[in-house]
Amino acid sequence: MARKTIESRWDFGGRDHGALLRESRSLRGESLWQDAWRRLRRNRAAAWSLAFLVLFGLTAFLAPILPLPSPVAMDLSAAEALAPRWPWAHTRLAAEWDPVEDADVAPGVLPTRALGNLANDGWRHQALLQFHAPESGGDGALRPGGGLDGLAALAALVRRVSGRVPRVETRPGPRAGVLEHTLCVPLHRDDAQRVDYLPTGVEGELLVWHSGEQDAERVTYDLSVPYDPGAVQRWSVDQRTRRGQLYVTPLGRADSVSGYQYTFTLQHVPRGEPAVLVLNGERYGPEGERLAPAPPGPKRDLQTTAAREHIGEVHPDLGRRVEAALGETLEEALQETPQETPGEDLEKTGETRRAVRRGGWAAGVELVTLSAQDGYWELNALDRWMLGLRARVFGSWQTGNWMGTDENGRDIAARIVWGSRTSILVALAATACSLIIGVVYGALSGLLGGRVDNVMMRVVDILYSVPFIFVVIFVITIVNEYRTELEDTYGIDRELIFFVVIGAIYWLTMARVVRGQVLSLKNSEFIEATRVLGASTARILFAHLVPNVLSIVIVYLTLTIPAVMLFEAFLSFLGLGIEPPKVSWGLLAVDGTKALNPLQYYWWLVVFPALAMGSTLLTLNVLGDGLRDALDPKLRGKD
Amino acid sequence: MIRFLARRLLWFVITLFVVMSVSFVLMRSVKGGPFDSERTLNEAIEANIQARYHLDWPLWKQFLQYVGPINLDENGPQFFERDEQGLHLFRGARFFFSDEAGFHLIRADPGVDLWTGVLAGDFGPSFRYRDWSVNDIIGQSLPISALLGLVAMMWALALGISAGIASALRRGSKLDLTMRLAATGGIALPNFVIASFLIILFVFLIPLFPVAGWGTIRHMILPGFCLGLVFAAYIARLTRTGMLEVLSQDHIRTAHAKGLAPRTVILRHALKGGILPVVSYLGPATAGILTGSLVIERIFFIPGTGSHFVNSATNRDYTLSMGVTILYTVLVYTLNTVVDLAYTFLDPRIQLDER
Repeated sequence: MARKTIESRWDFGGRDHGALLRESRSLRGESLWQDAWRRLRRNRAAAWSLAFLVLFGLTAFLAPILPLPSPVAMDLSAAEALAPRWPWAHTRLAAEWDPVEDADVAPGVLPTRALGNLANDGWRHQALLQFHAPESGGDGALRPGGGLDGLAALAALVRRVSGRVPRVETRPGPRAGVLEHTLCVPLHRDDAQRVDYLPTGVEGELLVWHSGEQDAERVTYDLSVPYDPGAVQRWSVDQRTRRGQLYVTPLGRADSVSGYQYTFTLQHVPRGEPAVLVLNGERYGPEGERLAPAPPGPKRDLQTTAAREHIGEVHPDLGRRVEAALGETLEEALQETPQETPGEDLEKTGETRRAVRRGGWAAGVELVTLSAQDGYWELNALDRWMLGLRARVFGSWQTGNWMGTDENGRDIAARIVWGSRTSILVALAATACSLIIGVVYGALSGLLGGRVDNVMMRVVDILYSVPFIFVVIFVITIVNEYRTELEDTYGIDRELIFFVVIGAIYWLTMARVVRGQVLSLKNSEFIEATRVLGASTARILFAHLVPNVLSIVIVYLTLTIPAVMLFEAFLSFLGLGIEPPKVSWGLLAVDGTKALNPLQYYWWLVVFPALAMGSTLLTLNVLGDGLRDALDPKLRGKD
Repeated sequence: MIRFLARRLLWFVITLFVVMSVSFVLMRSVKGGPFDSERTLNEAIEANIQARYHLDWPLWKQFLQYVGPINLDENGPQFFERDEQGLHLFRGARFFFSDEAGFHLIRADPGVDLWTGVLAGDFGPSFRYRDWSVNDIIGQSLPISALLGLVAMMWALALGISAGIASALRRGSKLDLTMRLAATGGIALPNFVIASFLIILFVFLIPLFPVAGWGTIRHMILPGFCLGLVFAAYIARLTRTGMLEVLSQDHIRTAHAKGLAPRTVILRHALKGGILPVVSYLGPATAGILTGSLVIERIFFIPGTGSHFVNSATNRDYTLSMGVTILYTVLVYTLNTVVDLAYTFLDPRIQLDER
């Protein structure tokens, strides 16, 4: 900084100037924040906690980059939860998975997105990985064999990589006249076997009729279920989740034990009780009884009709075609699996293979969507980019299951890291919610004073004596009833309500604390002085009151976050919190607790999530205590 | 004192009213009743069910009936039947046969109570367990929960106070540090995680306790301990702070100077002041133990009220979950008041009418 010339009797030299600055600073005193930071650093436990939390937050943020095991590469021979293995113990199938190389199947798409799904464990009950391939382009013209051939190549790749047999599902796409094929990779070995035996079957149409008011309530739902042409045993629709189940016995097998179960999702919320199910023109009652032909003249929405006509006319026998095509190409693909001959020019082989694959890919499959919405986490663009980075940096390398796996073969370490994202999100969102409500309420109450203050604080008192957890359970149960409506009509996520509800409990203490602080500040001398100087109310509020309230707010925030995390775990334990396949620490701890039984206790399912959760909550508590000591020395040593 | 109690009572009534009306409104706003099933019911059966649970009344009347204390349904539950003229009151139920004079016209249910509703201590019939009233269910499960809570509270007090005293006396030592760390850990870990650790340790590795169930003292130790641990941690912290404050005061120095044994000084003179913060914490702790028992009862398969609450909420057994909510509100409120009263007896400096 340029030295100013001081026109006075004392002309300072450079050293004098520095000394003067130091002296003035010592006279003025450090700011509250500098002082607090100094104290916090001196408190060794709090400093370590802060470092630990920063590290943990970083891990959660960088989760997509970390080379954590994905379930696709898991050891399929294991039927139960695997004990922890050391990091250098190689996962068997991981060695064969080369995302960078296989990326050339779909340049620029596969490594990021597909690996994204794998790393994200984007599994539904059955499908780990979904590729949609439209049968035709945007012009509606069919590309014969296009979509399916490309899918077959992809299926071969997936089969080679994961050891599981994918299945192709075909259904009308979002655009009229376009079919979409979906490649579903099963998660469980059992599913893989089932898919192996099960013929893909005939493409079917499913209409669910509703009883109720004779005419008004007749709503139809169109779905296409690839089903084995057999007898419908029974079916049901859950009105809450819109999910339905269909049990089918294949023809020629008398025993009803060896049936197949299909699940489907209705597109609308059913009003009234689903009464009739129409499958390929046959009408079935809930118990699977075959009903008389449909009454004439039912109302059908256009989409249903269009889809049905399309299926009926264009592809009368689609499923079998799919199977045949897929079977042939699978055989070929399995035969042409890379067998590097020693001595051959490796680079050249690679190029040829790539060219072959690129050709196969270009024949028709266009990746429309890759659904990862049902994974541990909804991947955004940044996450996808980070996953691509992972593919480029680590390639096929990944750690062993050094925290073990759960009974579905999902790696515990990966689940903990991805779960930390959810837990942190819940904690931050709910705390922010409580912060907003509490600060506004408390500040208003403190500022307005008098009778208003009295009434507002009485309300808080009443709410304090309500056992809130019961009310929360009540509210969440009721919200669960309305979840589909809320999502469809208002676009409100159930989790959003979850955050708000949790936040709505924890604002009480915040409101009290803020009110107390505002009350004591309001009558303090420096506020009087500011007022005398003619400052506006807004200026008093934001320049003087808020910074002084902030310190105590921060302290309570750090103590609210662990409380909220605990509460999330509590709700997850009761089955009212985060729902699988999403994962949070609470859910992990619950899974661990549930896996306890006298015959075989999977200790790693309990210990590692508990360690992660416990250490984070412990450090948060320590940090909170440290912050309180640092920001408000008067409170030191008091609990 | 009287004024304090009167004021508390007033707020209690307001709180209870708020809880009751909010939960009632929430309950009735849910689409679909607890009796919806896959089959469409016979019209008459449905009407009977509606009449049985007063679902055919206007909402305000249902609320009044639920709150009580006067039974608005002077005829008792009515019955409907269906014939060629449509749905109407079932006449047959109104006759009964007597040996002497043949048929007599009687009320459908001669045993109709004059007093019903929450204010009369009647939480109504359970929607899910058809033959049970909420009172029956609570009466069966509450003693179990209360016993569990008592065991937990005893654990918490014994562990917490002794740990707090120990770490206050050896302030700054390794013991103190360990205790404080353990206390923070106890606060930080959810109790079901602690429970599963303890189950691994004391049920599977060292088979000391049965894994689940209820009945003998051995069944109570582990759940009570898990439930009480968090509160033991809080109590230890409070006791430590309180004791540190008291130990530095003049009267303790006087007691030491008089030549009293250290044990006497601590237990008779210091402890009295030192556990005052603990006493004021007992109210929230009781509430917490009641809440925590939801989880613990589930892990250890204890047939207490907590498990009923969760099940009823998920089963949509509205009367039962409302009943339990109201019950817990009353319990928490009463215990808080009792704690406040006890506090004034222990510390005469505190005035009741402050708030």
